[in-house]
Amino acid sequence: MERSFYYRVTAYSFITLLSVMILLPSVADWTHTAHRLPEWYTKMFSRKIALGLDLQGGLHLVYEVQVDKAVSDKADRLAAQIEEKLAKDRKVKGAHVSREGDGAESRLRVTFQNKADARKLDRAFEREFAKYLTRESDNGQTGETVFKMDADYVDELRGYAVSQGVETIKNRVDKLGVAEPIVQRKQNDIVVELAGLSQADFQRVKTMIGKTAQLEFKMVDDGAEYMQRLSAYAESKKTQYPGLEVGFDYWQQKDNGQQHTDVYLKSKDKSVMERFLKDLPSELAVPNDHQILFEQISRDEDDDKTPDKPWRSYYLHRRAELTGEYLTDAEMNFDQTTNRPEVGITFDSEGASLFEKASGANIGRKMAIILDEKISSAPTIEGRIGGGRARITMGGYSDKVQQEAKDLVAVLKAGALPAPLRKTFETQVGASLGPEAVSKARTSMVIGTLAVVIFMLIYYRASGIIADVAMVFNVIYLLSIMALIQATLTLPGIAAVVLTVGMAVDANIIFYERIREELRGGKTPRQAVENGFGRALWTVVDAHVTNLVAGVVLYSYGTGPIRGFAVSLIAGIVCNLFTSVWLSRVMFDYMVLRNKKRATMSI
Amino acid sequence: MSQRFFELIRPDHNFDFVGKTKPLLLSSAALVLLSLLLLPVNMFLPGRGHALNFAIDFRGGTEMRVDFTRAVEPAAIREAMESGGFRDSEVVPLPEFKNSYLVRFPAVSALQPNQIARVEEGFRQKLGADSLRKFESSEGGDKAYVRLLKGKAFEPSQVEEILRGAGVTVSQVQRFGRPEDNTFEVVLVGLEKEVRTALDATLGQGAVASIPSVGSVGAKAGKELRDNGIISLLAAIGFIMLYILVRFDFRYGPGTVVALLHDALLVLGAFALTYKEFSLATIAAILTVIGYSMNDTIVVFDRIRENAGKMRDKKFPQIVNISVNETLSRTILTSATVFFVTLAMNIWGSGVIRDFAFAMNVGVIVGTYSSIFIASPILIWLNEKSLQTQKKPRTQRSSSSPV
Repeated sequence: MERSFYYRVTAYSFITLLSVMILLPSVADWTHTAHRLPEWYTKMFSRKIALGLDLQGGLHLVYEVQVDKAVSDKADRLAAQIEEKLAKDRKVKGAHVSREGDGAESRLRVTFQNKADARKLDRAFEREFAKYLTRESDNGQTGETVFKMDADYVDELRGYAVSQGVETIKNRVDKLGVAEPIVQRKQNDIVVELAGLSQADFQRVKTMIGKTAQLEFKMVDDGAEYMQRLSAYAESKKTQYPGLEVGFDYWQQKDNGQQHTDVYLKSKDKSVMERFLKDLPSELAVPNDHQILFEQISRDEDDDKTPDKPWRSYYLHRRAELTGEYLTDAEMNFDQTTNRPEVGITFDSEGASLFEKASGANIGRKMAIILDEKISSAPTIEGRIGGGRARITMGGYSDKVQQEAKDLVAVLKAGALPAPLRKTFETQVGASLGPEAVSKARTSMVIGTLAVVIFMLIYYRASGIIADVAMVFNVIYLLSIMALIQATLTLPGIAAVVLTVGMAVDANIIFYERIREELRGGKTPRQAVENGFGRALWTVVDAHVTNLVAGVVLYSYGTGPIRGFAVSLIAGIVCNLFTSVWLSRVMFDYMVLRNKKRATMSI
Repeated sequence: MSQRFFELIRPDHNFDFVGKTKPLLLSSAALVLLSLLLLPVNMFLPGRGHALNFAIDFRGGTEMRVDFTRAVEPAAIREAMESGGFRDSEVVPLPEFKNSYLVRFPAVSALQPNQIARVEEGFRQKLGADSLRKFESSEGGDKAYVRLLKGKAFEPSQVEEILRGAGVTVSQVQRFGRPEDNTFEVVLVGLEKEVRTALDATLGQGAVASIPSVGSVGAKAGKELRDNGIISLLAAIGFIMLYILVRFDFRYGPGTVVALLHDALLVLGAFALTYKEFSLATIAAILTVIGYSMNDTIVVFDRIRENAGKMRDKKFPQIVNISVNETLSRTILTSATVFFVTLAMNIWGSGVIRDFAFAMNVGVIVGTYSSIFIASPILIWLNEKSLQTQKKPRTQRSSSSPV
């Protein structure tokens, strides 16, 4: 036999072996025999086909961020601020600010009870709001002034609203303890996929995700005697709670050099600490006026080797000094002398006085910024902060620190002006439904496949065997590609796999009929195979391309399970082309070359 | 020596396909027209009411699969839903499961419009006539806001109690804004619970065994999904036509596209006729039908092109007829294998798979038919047209040349 034949056989055997090896962990997962695979193997072939929510049960939610409502909300806030400022700073009585229009078209109309007061709304006053508003018109006679939202600021606000929404939802989903949650941004929508939830959890989860973010500022009670006792107890229980550690914190007060020390709990796995706290004996229970919350510590800049960032605890006074409602804005700046990124916070006048009081009373201590019960940051208060503006300096220059600053801004904004979320799409599937549907799909798959296999055997005899073998390989390749790209297998995806079985023999039939024609024309089997494969090739390619077009269109417009269908379909078409054009050809060459002298072939 | 094969269609057959096209084309056109006509007819048929049996994907609303512990009449379920405040619900039996129904209704929020007045009344009674400043809820929203009188202290638990008293399934109430604003955010996600309560109340306690799946789509999202579906169908047709134009020439394009539209519309017609659920998965199936029905057309067209090059002595319609005959066996065989498989899915599968398989069943049949009886005649017709336009300038030139 020819040399190229052996090359091809070697290459295809290698591909097939590799496919089977790639596929094995997925199959082991489905048959619950994963434990039988050696560890090195599962490490080497870690990519698996994920089961879609419709197969394993779970929750698929899509929230729309109502960006226009976010803009309107901000306009309302500004209206209240202008009224307040006119009353306090300019001693104007009876000034009224009302919003007209929605979203980017929002306008603020300022009217005065006493027309003469209109003068007090001067340029200096306006400068304060220059970032948000531009003066559209003022009427000297009625004293009315109309502002409209600044276009750039509206864009910024919309962008922030969506990233805030994502941040808020991620934050909550992380708390659910669901394995591999998915939170994705798709334009103004946020897609949440939670697999493997029990039906009883659905409502709790939806409640948690749907409510508005809560931002709080609470003081850290450093050096508390309670934490000394707790950490001593933690040290003694280390074996029971693997990964639990006790950390120490030192810092110096800037103004008078006073030393602060603190102890805290630390672990890579937050749930270990949560379990530890839950199991505490009653004499060690956290006092009622305090609480323990956690922060994920960012690593040193050059330490990127260990990706999992540890968590640490803070012992906090339960009472919140301030909440998000007193904030008007937050933004990232750069310190003019050190060029380090910093986060600037602006409070409204009431917030300013609360913050001044709180900061004055706690100089040298840490204040935790908490969004939805998770600490985002706990900066040290370096002095009494008045005037309603605070700065949080970040500890570095790198891109990572900048990102942290941006994240913190998102958290603060989320609290100041919650992103209005609205659920637009929801699918929840009980865990029992998937297996039920899969078993039905399996039955239909087996029957359909058998029908095709038998039909091909009867119609094409030995060549039918080739087509059937190619079909089996086709399914193996298809599934292994899906494992390789870690595709999600959905119920429609299964339909696509079954469909692939039906279509897999199509190309073979086109080749075979052509070969028959050639044989009828008096060609030898060898020539007939040569001509048949050669002449029908473009027909087969064309047919596959049109299918591919449909698949790709489906992929780009589809969502959820439909996307799963498209992925399976596309992979199926590619594998089809490979098995029918190349793999079957090798088997044919073998059949023909072995019986060189025979004038007929089994087709 | 010539070899014998197992054959369903003998190679020496010669059916006259091209000669019979006119009545078939007319009946196809009639069928397509009928399919389109069925859409408005469905809207007025009792028990139907929509052009197609649109799933909530396209019109918004909630869909639940409800399993009952005993046999229940669909009409009884509808009535129970109605008395529970869920208007316009539809009940579709799921024959592949026992005592299982798909219940569909326009509401997506646990707060029913008729409960709002009761809620407001509740606040006035319990907390005082002027206690409620505003009760804000958007239709279909999963949140509501309660704004109470300023200057008095209220607790979230009080708000929750009043809402529950009015029959609203509340999952959480939290303070919203500053404490002195007295505004509370209410999270409403208890739709399943409300449906269960409504059904149990009328059909007897314990009538509902479980609600294994729930889907809800906001009206706006539904519109988006529908638009995306239409765009994707048009895009697929456009791209396929483009590919045909590149691979063949302009005479081949229209025939394939008409065949393709024919297939898609007839599948649509089948869904209108049977009133099977029309969902995103159906759009996916139609797209697959479009891609797949092209296969047969391409096989035939490829052969026509090949033969047109070889048989220069024959007329074009004859060449087409020969080519269709030559490729007939493979056209039928390839369609048959896919038909087997999808038929098995239609019979033994469930849910999405079944609907998908139904669309494919219809699509494979009409696709095979259209590649022979629709795409080819249009090709012949266009070929004649193009020959005429080519001839005209030539005759003009010949008459003017001997000057």
